[in-house]
Amino acid sequence: MHPLLKNLRGLAAYLLAWMLAGCALAVAWVQQASTERIWVLGFLLPLALLTGMAALSMYSVCRSFPLRPAKWMSTLSRRAAAAGLLALLVSGAAALWNATGPLWGRDGLVSLTPVAWLAFVGIQTVVFALSALMHDALLAQQTIQAVAATEAQARLLAREMEIKALRKQLDPHFLFNSLNSISSLIQLDPAAARAMTVDLAQFFRQTLSLGERERIRLDEELELVQHYLAIEQRRLGDKLRLSIDVDGACRMAWLPPLVLQPLVENAIKHGIRQLDLGGLIKLSARHAGDRLALRVSNPVDAQAPRDATGLGQGLRHLQARLQTQYDERAFVDVESTADRFTVQVSLPWQT
Amino acid sequence: MTLRALIADDEPLARALVREFLAAHANVQVLAEVDNGLEAARCIQDLAPDLVFLDIQMPKLTGLEVLQLTGLRRGVIFTTAYDQHALAAFDLHAVDYLLKPFSQERFDAAMQRAGQLLREGAPAVESLVAEQALRRVLIREGSELRVLPLDEVDYIEAQADYVAFRHAGRDHLKVQRISELEAQLDPRQFVRVHRSFIVNLRQLQAVERTESNGYAVRLRSGKRIPVSRSGHERLLGVL
Repeated sequence: MHPLLKNLRGLAAYLLAWMLAGCALAVAWVQQASTERIWVLGFLLPLALLTGMAALSMYSVCRSFPLRPAKWMSTLSRRAAAAGLLALLVSGAAALWNATGPLWGRDGLVSLTPVAWLAFVGIQTVVFALSALMHDALLAQQTIQAVAATEAQARLLAREMEIKALRKQLDPHFLFNSLNSISSLIQLDPAAARAMTVDLAQFFRQTLSLGERERIRLDEELELVQHYLAIEQRRLGDKLRLSIDVDGACRMAWLPPLVLQPLVENAIKHGIRQLDLGGLIKLSARHAGDRLALRVSNPVDAQAPRDATGLGQGLRHLQARLQTQYDERAFVDVESTADRFTVQVSLPWQT
Repeated sequence: MTLRALIADDEPLARALVREFLAAHANVQVLAEVDNGLEAARCIQDLAPDLVFLDIQMPKLTGLEVLQLTGLRRGVIFTTAYDQHALAAFDLHAVDYLLKPFSQERFDAAMQRAGQLLREGAPAVESLVAEQALRRVLIREGSELRVLPLDEVDYIEAQADYVAFRHAGRDHLKVQRISELEAQLDPRQFVRVHRSFIVNLRQLQAVERTESNGYAVRLRSGKRIPVSRSGHERLLGVL
């Protein structure tokens, strides 16, 4: 339905404008020809209202056949055909209305030559063509607004997910367990207790500050991971072993914050912790073609039942985050063998 | 009276802290420290400690599962850093627990309470454990203890004083009555279709009519299990 039909006040103003146009035309007509004013008005005013209503129907034509550069011929010809058809219909109605003259004791309400009728149809066609033009402009503006609204929504969603990721990062389980470890170390090894306090503070401080930014250097993420691992290493002892292998060039690459850290956290939670003897976490970053490839792999308990769905909540979350930022240009791949679990994240290379 | 204690926590520092706080309790002797749920269950069965410091989130078996599988109810002091679900259940049943990190005073209070419950019994722990549906069972194979995930079990059959868990083509025996086991299982997943059989609905392939106008279920493994009249009603109730 036409937006004006939902807005009574706007519709009234619109029809009033058409009536005024009808009056203006009647005044001009009376000055040209010596027909009585009352009949000219009687003929023109209902027609003005009809034309006004008919012009609104161009809206549905414009909406059904939106202007596209690839199909400009067919869309334009459809508009022209619709305008011509409407003009003929309105002119037909005008002829009928004029033919009611005998009811009022006249031949016709007004007298028009065939050339004048032809001009009438022509003017109507132009009016409807103009209406199509204005409706196209209106629709274009609506589209622009809708696109802007969708974009704003997407940005808001992405930001919300970032904040959620951040909040998840500040995992209470991790915090309270770490504090418990510090409490234990105070008696056993005061220097280690102090070092762990500093690591914990650094980790939380960096998580907060990096999480606020859209892009960070891999170097910054690695620093965060180092603090995280230092804490976990104190908690898990020699169960946690590490090999970190990062290409020098990768350190300056840009990526969203908190991509690597959750992967390392998962590797410890679902891998190392579940194993009696712990194991080795391998972390690597490579520059391959125009992409940055991050890899985290960990041993898993070959005997333990495995979740068949593959991606856990944390990985699905990471995938969704990357998708809102990169669309289809980022991948999260999982490789699961009997005794090892590997996650690879591939991002467009940016420096 | 000397209390013999077990400390179960996967973090060495957390265990060290419990030991440190125990120094103020001369009547407690630490029998063993373990770093996973399975070891905890083994020690509880083999050593029968008076007092168990039990972390809730442990590898292999959670603290609650350790209680479920060993039948231990008295003399348990739960420790946890944060576990929303577990804590909600604990509060519901008014079961005491130590939230990490805790102070010596709080630790002493928990010890006092545990000592009291040791003499009087711990109905709160009983009702807490009874509420949790069984998801894994503990099987003894020779001197080895093994955890069997119930999700992967095809069916359970009563055999004299035992129940046999059919898993990956093998029977695993455990001394238990089938009706007692049935009460511990999740009724939406495990259905007693017959006096001697409980089937895992995840492994169900089809319900079939037999020639004698009765019913049977066919499992994914191809095994056919008889269904009694009341078993059929129970099956319809769940499906």
